[in-house]
Amino acid sequence: MHHENVVVVGAGLAGMKASLLLAQAGKKVHLVETLPLIGGKTIKNEESFPNLECSTCLVAPIQQAVLQNADIETMTLSAVEKIEGDKGNFTVTVKKAARYVKVADCIGCGMCYEPCPVSVSNEWEENLGERKAIYVPCAGSLPNVPTVDPEHCLKLSGKEECNACVEACMFGAVNLEDEDETVEIEAGAVIVATGSGVFDVSALPNLGYGEFPGVYTPFEFERLFASNGPTLGELKIRETEKVPGKIAIIHCVGRKERGYCSGVCCMYSFKFAHFLKKKLPEASVYNLHSDICVMDKSYQKFFDGVNGTHSEMLYNSSMEELKVTGDGDGVKVTYLDEAGKENELDVDMVILAAAMVPEEGASGLAEVLGIDLDALGFFKVRGDDVVSVESSREGIFIAGTAEGPKDSQSSVIQAEAAVGKVLAFLDSCRPQTAEAAAADRQG
Amino acid sequence: MTEVQQEREFTPRIVGFLCNWCTYAAADLAGSTKLEISPALTVIRVMCSSRVDHNLLLTTFFSGADGILIAGCHPGDCHYGKGNYYARRRYAVLKTVMEGLGLEPERLQLSWVSASEGNRYADVVNAFSKKIKALGPNPINRRRDF
Amino acid sequence: MKAKIGVYVCECGPNIGQTIDIPKVLESIPKLEGYEDIELVPKSFGLLCSPDGKEHLKKEITENGYTHLVIAACSPRDHDATFMNVCKEAGLNPYLYKIINIREHCGWIIHDKDAATDKAIQYIRSGISRVLYQSELFERQLEITPDVLVIGGGVAGIEAALSLACEDRKVYLAEKTGELGGKAARFSSLLPRQSQGADIIKQKIEAVEANENILVFLNTELESSIGFLGNFEVVLDCDGDEEKTDLKVGAIIVATGYRMSDPGGQSGYEYTDADEVYTSLEIERMNAGGGIALRSGDKPGSVALIHCVGRQEKGYCSRICCNYMMKIGGYFKGHSEATQVTEFFFDMCLPHKADQQFFDKSVGLGIDFKRVKTIGLSGTSVEFTEIGGEQQEMNFDMVVLASAMEPPEGTEALAALLEIDLDERGFFKEAHQTTDPVATSIDGIFVVGASQGPRDVSDSMLLAQAAAGRIRSQLIPGGKIVPEVKVSEILEAYCTGCRTCLEVCGYGAIYFDDQKGISVVNEAVCRGCGNCFGSCPSGALRTKHFTNRQLFREVTEALK
Repeated sequence: MHHENVVVVGAGLAGMKASLLLAQAGKKVHLVETLPLIGGKTIKNEESFPNLECSTCLVAPIQQAVLQNADIETMTLSAVEKIEGDKGNFTVTVKKAARYVKVADCIGCGMCYEPCPVSVSNEWEENLGERKAIYVPCAGSLPNVPTVDPEHCLKLSGKEECNACVEACMFGAVNLEDEDETVEIEAGAVIVATGSGVFDVSALPNLGYGEFPGVYTPFEFERLFASNGPTLGELKIRETEKVPGKIAIIHCVGRKERGYCSGVCCMYSFKFAHFLKKKLPEASVYNLHSDICVMDKSYQKFFDGVNGTHSEMLYNSSMEELKVTGDGDGVKVTYLDEAGKENELDVDMVILAAAMVPEEGASGLAEVLGIDLDALGFFKVRGDDVVSVESSREGIFIAGTAEGPKDSQSSVIQAEAAVGKVLAFLDSCRPQTAEAAAADRQG
Repeated sequence: MTEVQQEREFTPRIVGFLCNWCTYAAADLAGSTKLEISPALTVIRVMCSSRVDHNLLLTTFFSGADGILIAGCHPGDCHYGKGNYYARRRYAVLKTVMEGLGLEPERLQLSWVSASEGNRYADVVNAFSKKIKALGPNPINRRRDF
Repeated sequence: MKAKIGVYVCECGPNIGQTIDIPKVLESIPKLEGYEDIELVPKSFGLLCSPDGKEHLKKEITENGYTHLVIAACSPRDHDATFMNVCKEAGLNPYLYKIINIREHCGWIIHDKDAATDKAIQYIRSGISRVLYQSELFERQLEITPDVLVIGGGVAGIEAALSLACEDRKVYLAEKTGELGGKAARFSSLLPRQSQGADIIKQKIEAVEANENILVFLNTELESSIGFLGNFEVVLDCDGDEEKTDLKVGAIIVATGYRMSDPGGQSGYEYTDADEVYTSLEIERMNAGGGIALRSGDKPGSVALIHCVGRQEKGYCSRICCNYMMKIGGYFKGHSEATQVTEFFFDMCLPHKADQQFFDKSVGLGIDFKRVKTIGLSGTSVEFTEIGGEQQEMNFDMVVLASAMEPPEGTEALAALLEIDLDERGFFKEAHQTTDPVATSIDGIFVVGASQGPRDVSDSMLLAQAAAGRIRSQLIPGGKIVPEVKVSEILEAYCTGCRTCLEVCGYGAIYFDDQKGISVVNEAVCRGCGNCFGSCPSGALRTKHFTNRQLFREVTEALK
């Protein structure tokens, strides 16, 4: 006899899709997410390639379906601490960090933000904007319930006896006495869908990140452009407030260092060109690329749509020789063209299309779960099959960019495949009927 | 009351047919960010902008609406695939006959507002309300009881 | 029976309590003109969505015997489902209730309290008026068949069958040719990252043949299919069989694979059958057979591998070619290190995290990679311009061409049979590029493998597993499916049989009844968007829970 519940770690696109599919199959899902909101990386984009549809419109129905599904227990601000047992009979220990706001009582009115005297940099907004110590990461966050940051809250960090938010809340939903909680979940299987991170571009000082305000990482630019972002979509370079007239987008940042092509950067770079031209029709945009990677059937068309019209595509023959240097108000990009000749571009803004890398907590989670990482630091899938979503430990499955760089479509495919494997695995002892599933959920 | 004073009295009554997935969500977002939006507009939720047909639009005009706003997802983003394209066509057809009915075509507007565009929703509604106020009351107001 | 409507205004703390004059609202409700013969019971409550609030509501509904319920609170997107559940638990049909948004669409956006209060009263009036015209609606439960039909016995079809078949779920695998395995079965090896190698395909074929829950139909094509998710009726036509096979299945998986486009048709590529110019598939066959050799029987001393043939004309990258050309380069180098292997490419496409390593290793084998911006072929003479270089010409003993992957013959016909869409490139169209990549516009029909778009063996199998995941979660043996409740229906008396609704429906939810000469909505498939309604010239459509009557009431009350 084994448990029928499933723990899904990570509430991004892959994790949410997997949870919904499992719930549809009648399984109870425990969705564990470290951030205070669900939605993963996709919600950071104003629009997603290749159709440039509004990411919120795409993801919000999925987020709401997850939050309203009675069979999915969403645990935000949570992390897996320990796992014991064997396939079919895991005991997963999850630590739920205190939110300091009672989810059941909070109605998301936002009255608690204004009175808070503390303003800090908003890390979800890529530090391009600020938030209070009591906050939601962005407008439209789901769940629409704030969190209190214990590090910066005056009361929680012991600096001052401040109760501004407590007093501002008509529902008594703010509870600064809240405590971290640890729960144990009996589960039959686990799906790891913890996503990925972005290559640290400051490791390449020749690219000028941090030195020049006009040099942006991909998510910094996404948030700059977003209509619900820190500048409400106004394209003004930080510190200078200048509207860029010339922008260079540099592909393949970190490709050599990491040893793989991340598969999505060309596409989002072309998307950026599209964004820029749409908002600033007079601007000049340049994409400095090596291989043009348009690996899905619909991607070439997207590239053809921006090539020449939205951006000038320039071949860059060497990432090592590429330099971003200061030039008065703006920056100068020096690179070697296809003939190996040195060229210069005077621009106001540089966007670095940086490699997709394993998420920060990946190695820690791998250790906790007792599963292997591959040589690149992504979660390893078993090579027994020609294709696999199975980790090195039976009963634990991997989906999405946690397994390796891929686009959203591929993450969803992997998530659905992982669910298929989980269901087959859970049903392998006996035929699964709806009645038996209901009995399991109650028992 | 003189015409001038009557005009000043005129508070437009606008009906907005908003699609559930995009524009209604944008309206909610505008609300939760406490933007000021003209009370002239009454929101009617539909599942898709393609649901809105000529019958409904004309009845709404004949019932006294000074303006109608149809709002849905941007082309390509429709939750049901192509519904908004059909909405656009239907709206275009109605525009051509409005003058013949004695209605200024500007009283009917179609806008695309996505779920994250709370600010845009507020702008669209406020601008439309202003436009309708300037146009004055619906000239073919024939209220009927159903 | 006289209607008794509970009208509850939620204070929502300061959000409604401070922005709207609730006592004034409550006072005005019983006075609403036109509602004299209806009992309106106005009340307010602190926070209706809280556990206390919900309990309170439940009690109120049962104790007061309400026939309808109106809740003036927040957005339906927040709590429509919450209050529908409360109704269900209290024994009131959840479609006899309406939530009115006086928070996001009223209190929060109209900053003048009096104006906001007036607007709230107007909205509540509309809501009461509408709810009186709402009808009871009931969820249905449909029985389903868990069995699956897989069309295509290549690697994707085989993987789908193996992922699904079990005692309670039969899989019917229909293959057009006389053999399982598709194209990949003929490869002598797979990519280095596909560590099991080509043997795995043989093993999977054997597993299919040994599996008593998979019924294989060779030399078989689909003749017809009708029905919907959980209830398809298909007819298979097997070459050589007099009788056709009728099957009942719950889902259909299309795994018809691909075909390589003919590089001979490409402009700039001039060669004849007499030339030593081969397609990648021909080389695979040669390698798996006696070995790659020239017509004379000698081994080629130099070979050109040309990527991206037809990419420009087709308008898409075929994704797998860079990888398999490196594999083929490895075949030549494997036979003899001395063979001069030159690969011509425009962009190096390395989809998988392990592919860069494969490229580096291929370089290490001595394969010469040339990035070009123009290329042409004349016999076995390659004319090209390397990026940053001048136009030049190189002669080779043998040339291998990687042409585009395209949909196989019969794709259009199959799409028409199943009533699923094709995309502009001719591949089967997925329901949504990003969030629904293996489904189609018809619920229950999935498309996997290279028939969905250029894919390698691993990805093809992964898509098959994804479709299996979808089917396993939705079609549970002995289980039922609950279709959408707020669907459209067509009134026989009004329908003229013009079929406009049928054409606009994106889900194939409407069919034509030849006998009666009218269109009929299949409520099991309808998603309730209302597009059919908007298209009907005869007023024959009704969209449940969003009828014109109901919407008119909202509108006209608002304009009083």
